[in-house]
Amino acid sequence: METKKLFLVDNDDIFCFAAEVLIKSRNLAHEVARFENGLEALNALKTLVDSPDELPAILLLDLNMPIMSGWEFLDEIKTGPEIFTKKIAIYILTSSIAPEDVTKSKDYPFLEGYITKPLTVEDIDRVSAK
Amino acid sequence: MNTKKAFPFKLVDNPFPLVIVDSTLTIQECSVETLAFFEIDDSAQPMHLKELIGESYKIFLESTENKKKQIETISIFSKTEKQRWIRTACYPDITNSHFHIYFDDVSDEISQYELSMRAKRIAKIGSWKVDLVKNTLIWSDITREIHEVPNDFVPDLKMAINFYKEGKHRDKINNAVSACMEMAKPFDLELIIVTAKGREKWVRAIGEAEVIQGEVCGFQGVFQDIDKIKREQLRYEILNNRMRAAIEGANIGIWDWDIEKNDLIWDENMFTIFGIDESQFKAAYEAWESVVHPDDKENAVEEVQMALDGIKEFDTEFRAIKGCGSIAYILGRAIVFRDEEGNPLRMVGINQDVTKARIKDIRARRLLEVMEKQNVKLTNFAHVVSHNIRSSSSNISMLSGMLLDNTSNDRTLEFIEMINKSAEKLEETISDLNEIVKIQTTDSLDLYQIEVRSVLESVIESINALVVESKAEIRIDIDRSLRVWGIKPYLTSIFLNLLTNSIKYRSPDRKLLVNIGVEHSDNQTVIAFNDNGIGIDLKKNGQHLFGMYKTFHSNKDAKGIGLYIANNQMEALDGRIEVKSSVGQGSTFYLHFKK
Repeated sequence: METKKLFLVDNDDIFCFAAEVLIKSRNLAHEVARFENGLEALNALKTLVDSPDELPAILLLDLNMPIMSGWEFLDEIKTGPEIFTKKIAIYILTSSIAPEDVTKSKDYPFLEGYITKPLTVEDIDRVSAK
Repeated sequence: MNTKKAFPFKLVDNPFPLVIVDSTLTIQECSVETLAFFEIDDSAQPMHLKELIGESYKIFLESTENKKKQIETISIFSKTEKQRWIRTACYPDITNSHFHIYFDDVSDEISQYELSMRAKRIAKIGSWKVDLVKNTLIWSDITREIHEVPNDFVPDLKMAINFYKEGKHRDKINNAVSACMEMAKPFDLELIIVTAKGREKWVRAIGEAEVIQGEVCGFQGVFQDIDKIKREQLRYEILNNRMRAAIEGANIGIWDWDIEKNDLIWDENMFTIFGIDESQFKAAYEAWESVVHPDDKENAVEEVQMALDGIKEFDTEFRAIKGCGSIAYILGRAIVFRDEEGNPLRMVGINQDVTKARIKDIRARRLLEVMEKQNVKLTNFAHVVSHNIRSSSSNISMLSGMLLDNTSNDRTLEFIEMINKSAEKLEETISDLNEIVKIQTTDSLDLYQIEVRSVLESVIESINALVVESKAEIRIDIDRSLRVWGIKPYLTSIFLNLLTNSIKYRSPDRKLLVNIGVEHSDNQTVIAFNDNGIGIDLKKNGQHLFGMYKTFHSNKDAKGIGLYIANNQMEALDGRIEVKSSVGQGSTFYLHFKK
């Protein structure tokens, strides 16, 4: 079985701890890489441009983060190498239930989905089924 | 007949009206002709001049007093109510004890004089003449012009009458002409005709019968175009009525300014509105100008000038300084009346005291501004707070759910610790919230003069351990006497936030140096906190810098609440906070306090 990689971009340590346990327990991914903000994740992705097999299959993205927010990260991805949006299933994973955020997410057609916290087993199974 | 003195020639036989009076104007003698002249019955001998010429007799008391000759033309009314003009000449006799008074009827001369004067005054007068014997109607050139018919137009009486507008106008002229023909009754009417070109026009038609041997053989008169005057007059009447209606109820004053004479008339309400005593008022334009608030004078005077120049009607609002010194908001509207060449003659207008409404308006607008600002703040606030609360609460529900599902495996203790941390964070968010709500509800507090330096020193004292540990050097270049408007807890909180930020975001490459100084401007005292820390990228983060829960460094301690609170507190003190910064060099925060 191939090793499935997942990027978790969120500055909330507690959430990341719980999410990682949940993800692994449901076998959504075998390897979870954590990033504090959009910039860290973007930099990590950039180093993998030439080795697409190393790219994560799934990226879970928080919106509210310092340095580079989730939106800013998406703007970078939008204009970046096509391989990112092709290879990676990107999900917004946020505590925001503001309708304007849901609406704004429609501006990024390459997004796989919009998940609101708390992250549940059902959410993970849904991602896994795709 | 009373003839006391036996002159050879008897006065009573004089063939003209003549009386002899004493100094009280009591009649001593009276010629027979006098009785006929004044239409007095033979049996009723007049005793006093008053009985002949009425109250006008008083004029001649002066003459008898001074023993001087006096000639006056006075008006009396005949028994048939016809006005007569009597030239009355009073001469003292040689003894100076009696006076001779002669009477002469000059009515014809006077009326002719009056008519010619009237003709001179009134322009655009034509004439016409109807000869009933030859059955012709003759129009003068001007009459034809007024009817807008060609010069060779030959009218007849029926046609002439049909020029009058159908309905009451034509009925009136018909009746007047009939009465003139049958009873020689003169007429003088203002009516509308419809000219040959179909235009409606106000005219004045005056007619008089020509009587020969008791028979009306024709009539003639004048015909005048009064359209412009009449329309102006009607417009004025309508306006007048409208104004009168408007005044009833509202506290409106009316003024009327005769521009040529610079005669300004105010009604009673005007004096009430401006709080001026009527006796103190100099009835001229300058009197109005002097009550207008100096700041509004230029505009108000310009509005008047524009109205006079016909650029726009006078319709403005200005403040007035009332007699008692208080300020009133006045709404002014006026209309300019002009002569035929368009020169302004009169300006008539209203003034209304709208102070109550205006003050309410200003208050409402201010309130609205505050509310709008507050509303935006609260929406933001609710958004941000709900996000943070949701973060913690969703973590708790997720962790506890996993515990229950046994997803946690053997890491139960770790999970409980995490739940505990999340609960603490939730508590912290709620306490932040409380802190912020406190600022926003103490918006209208009274400010005090606070000594800046002593507050600063106690703040530094309270974080002494942190200062020592970070090896920071803090220099205060502020005089001990400097005070600003504020409240102490806010200043303490703001200073604390700025200083701990400087320490938190100090550069790892150099010793932290914080300089606190002061700058003065006309209406502000500015306290500046300058540090040599890592700085903030303002281009990127400037707009969010004072937002709630916004952080700009990867520092784990950053909560994004300090500057948000500081900004709110400065706003509550009616001041503001500003920042200048460059990445890698340091930041300066400026606190602007109202003087």
